[in-house]
Amino acid sequence: MIAYLATIVLLFLLAPILLSFIKALKMVLLFKKPVSVFQGYRNFSKLMHKETIISRETSSITRYAPFLVLSPLLVVMFFLPPVVHGAYYVSFVDAFTITGLISLSTFFLMLLGLDSASAFGGMGSSREAFISALVEPAMVLTVFSVSMMAGDLGVGQAGVNLAEHFPQEHMASFLFAGISFFILLIAENGRIPIDNPETHLELTMVHEAMILDLTGVYLALIETASSVKFVIFASLFVSLFIPLGLEYSTPIAILVFVAKLFAVAVAVALLEVNTAKLRLFKVPNLLGISIVFAFLSLITFYVLGA
Amino acid sequence: MFQFDTLSMIFIALILLGVIPNLFYSSGYLPHIDRKVHYLLHYFAFIGSMLGVVVSANALMFLFFWELMSLTSWQLILTEVKDKNTISAARFYFLMTHFGFIFLLLFFLIVTNGNLDVGFAEMKNIASGFMYPTVLFFFLVLGFLSKAGAVPLHVWLPYAHPAAPSPVSALMSGVMLKVAIYGMFRFLFDVLYPWPLEWGIVILVIGSLSSIIGVLYALSEHDIKALLANHSIENIGIILIGFGMGMIFDSLNLKVLSTFSFIAALFHTFNHMSFKSLLFMGAGSVLHQTHTKNIEKYGGLIKTMPITALTFLLASISISALPPSNGFLSEWMIFQSMLGSSHIDNMPLKLAIPFAVFALAVTGGLAIACFVKAYGITFLGLHRSTNAKHAHEVNFLMTAGMILMSLVVISLMLFTPFYIGWFDEALAGLGKVSVYAKIFPSGIWNMHSVSVHGGIVSPLVLLASLTGVTALLMFGYKAMKVKERVHNTWGCGYKTGAKTQYSATGFAGPIRRFFNWLYKPDEHFTKQTIAGHQSKFSDSYYEVHVKPLFETSLYTSVAKAANFISYWVYRLAHFEQIRYTAMIFNLMLLVLFSYRIFSHEFSWATFALESVIMMISIKVFIIGDKK
Repeated sequence: MIAYLATIVLLFLLAPILLSFIKALKMVLLFKKPVSVFQGYRNFSKLMHKETIISRETSSITRYAPFLVLSPLLVVMFFLPPVVHGAYYVSFVDAFTITGLISLSTFFLMLLGLDSASAFGGMGSSREAFISALVEPAMVLTVFSVSMMAGDLGVGQAGVNLAEHFPQEHMASFLFAGISFFILLIAENGRIPIDNPETHLELTMVHEAMILDLTGVYLALIETASSVKFVIFASLFVSLFIPLGLEYSTPIAILVFVAKLFAVAVAVALLEVNTAKLRLFKVPNLLGISIVFAFLSLITFYVLGA
Repeated sequence: MFQFDTLSMIFIALILLGVIPNLFYSSGYLPHIDRKVHYLLHYFAFIGSMLGVVVSANALMFLFFWELMSLTSWQLILTEVKDKNTISAARFYFLMTHFGFIFLLLFFLIVTNGNLDVGFAEMKNIASGFMYPTVLFFFLVLGFLSKAGAVPLHVWLPYAHPAAPSPVSALMSGVMLKVAIYGMFRFLFDVLYPWPLEWGIVILVIGSLSSIIGVLYALSEHDIKALLANHSIENIGIILIGFGMGMIFDSLNLKVLSTFSFIAALFHTFNHMSFKSLLFMGAGSVLHQTHTKNIEKYGGLIKTMPITALTFLLASISISALPPSNGFLSEWMIFQSMLGSSHIDNMPLKLAIPFAVFALAVTGGLAIACFVKAYGITFLGLHRSTNAKHAHEVNFLMTAGMILMSLVVISLMLFTPFYIGWFDEALAGLGKVSVYAKIFPSGIWNMHSVSVHGGIVSPLVLLASLTGVTALLMFGYKAMKVKERVHNTWGCGYKTGAKTQYSATGFAGPIRRFFNWLYKPDEHFTKQTIAGHQSKFSDSYYEVHVKPLFETSLYTSVAKAANFISYWVYRLAHFEQIRYTAMIFNLMLLVLFSYRIFSHEFSWATFALESVIMMISIKVFIIGDKK
């Protein structure tokens, strides 16, 4: 139980560091002076001390939605797979519920975008609705396929099963599902090539456009939500698709886990440096690839025999 | 004459849950109806006939109440005739519902041997002796699904539901469609029981198509009630996916999974009744205040109509299948039943089920987009018209109806185990395996899927943890005593106004563009440019209208073909007498030639020669010269 709670706290603390790390690594690769990896904390404390400005056009949705964006993601943090051997994990919530909770968070984020009567907010919501509608099927199919291979739909149990008996004979479907999930990780977290988190240009904004009117604590909540979302996806990815290191003793297992998270961050940073953002109407192609890989994963699993 | 088994009781409960809040809403709405007696008479007859359908125990009673239900709802659509569209919508509804009725009548005439008094048990005997059970199955599908609004018999919904007064559209969409689902349950279980595998697949395919097509057309719709009507098509599709999976599992002898899928379908039937009635009531209140169904004329209504906005939000979350709502739970069950397809041995079928999973998942994603649009454009932002500016909360009775209906939604969310236990009992009564103990093996907290490696969900834990975490965060925010300042929305230095907001058309723009091949939208764009500059204009107007594909391809082209044929029949009937002789001559030629072909030897050479002779004689004698 202690290991369980400690993992959640660790992930929560790691969340801003991971995003700042990606940013710093990108800056290094572009020969810029990098930001500190603790920049996320600095931003957070700066925002916490600011006053909140609420726009005149908004309704009560703006006052509640930031909390409702963050809270489903915080709840998901409690359902993640275990990091150390023998740690407690939640067995009564399955992967569908987790995707549902993430959608709930996105739902309120989209409403928030529409609430401020600004053209930016509507634009961001509209694009986000488009992207997340196409992410949903890929997500469900990938979850379906992984649950087959892991022998359980609950992510906690699935992580343990994969670490203990890795399905060697289903390596092909495992890889396909992994590729599909990585694309989803990028799409859901609004990274390049789907969305550029650093720009404030109306042609390219998706996530930033929805929260353009927020400041102070509300913005801090949303920023926390996006870093938590990244850490959720990264830890799901490393627990389900790189199931190594669970068998070591506690300190080493945690170190291995954190190293894997940073490896994902490095992969995302390298991808971001090396690709340009896709046009909005090219995004479905990328998500289509993800859907096709998810299908392939299921089909190879069935055809090669369970 | 009447029977009250558990399935009937379930549907009585469904009707009552849908009707009681509606009575409040309806009485609040009543002062705005001119033909009060007409309305009330048909309203209560409609409710009574729905109750009659679900309790009748023989074909005659069933058909009587079914027809009464159709006729009263048809008259209810005609309560407020404001324009020609209402009349044509009602006529279309009348036609479609009687199209279905013919097939039901045929079905009953066959399974009762013409004696409409016999009970269901006797019908089963006759049906099992009938040589072509698939014909009976298709009669049922055409009869009930034309009422339920499944593809391709769904086209009347987006016309009929908006035309009816709001309480009636809530009843029609929320309750009447479910009576058709009752018919599917009753007659497939009681009369046509051993199902071949193909029947289940047919239902599954219809369900998947309906769900995707319903949600896609809902997205492109600007009339809020038509949008909701299209969502009814989607949800009926989801129910049918569950139903079809149940039939497939049953014919493959996976009885436990089969019952699980049927429970999922029944649960979604209840959920759809609750949130769709609530959405129609909310839409009705908005319509009542703003006097327009056009979603582009709303905006900012949450400030003046808080109760409507809150209940609409609850229903939107539920219909978008977001946890921890009841809509999520039933869609979760349907997903779980499809995951059970890994138990199927039939490889092609096993490989095909993921496509249905895909359909359901796309539907879920698009439904979220659609309800963000419906909610965001209607209730958030700035008001887009003067009527929206002067809107205020509807009267007490109407709000009471909405609040009662949201209590129904919440009760379905909180008392899921109770409802599932009840559905399980009904299915056990119809000869299925009971699975309640498998869904809730350890108390009511965790809901298990019945397939091996299936998922688990704990609705109450989820609800409690979500509210707990949110409350904690908000309490923390309050404790911090942050200074708040109110200021204008940032608009790049321009003024933020109603016109600068995103419109519903714009919101659905990316998705509409992606599905352009399906929508084939009809775009109207005019702008008044200033001094010949392309990019400077004083006034511009853009409107897009999407004509449903099924309507153009299936219905309009059928009408065109009928017109074409009738033109030629007319031509034929007005020939000169000499041509009749020519026709008789050609007919004789045809008979002689075909006699030779069918009863003697066949050779391509003579066939070609004879065809040429036929063509020449038709051309010369019948068609003749062009005038």
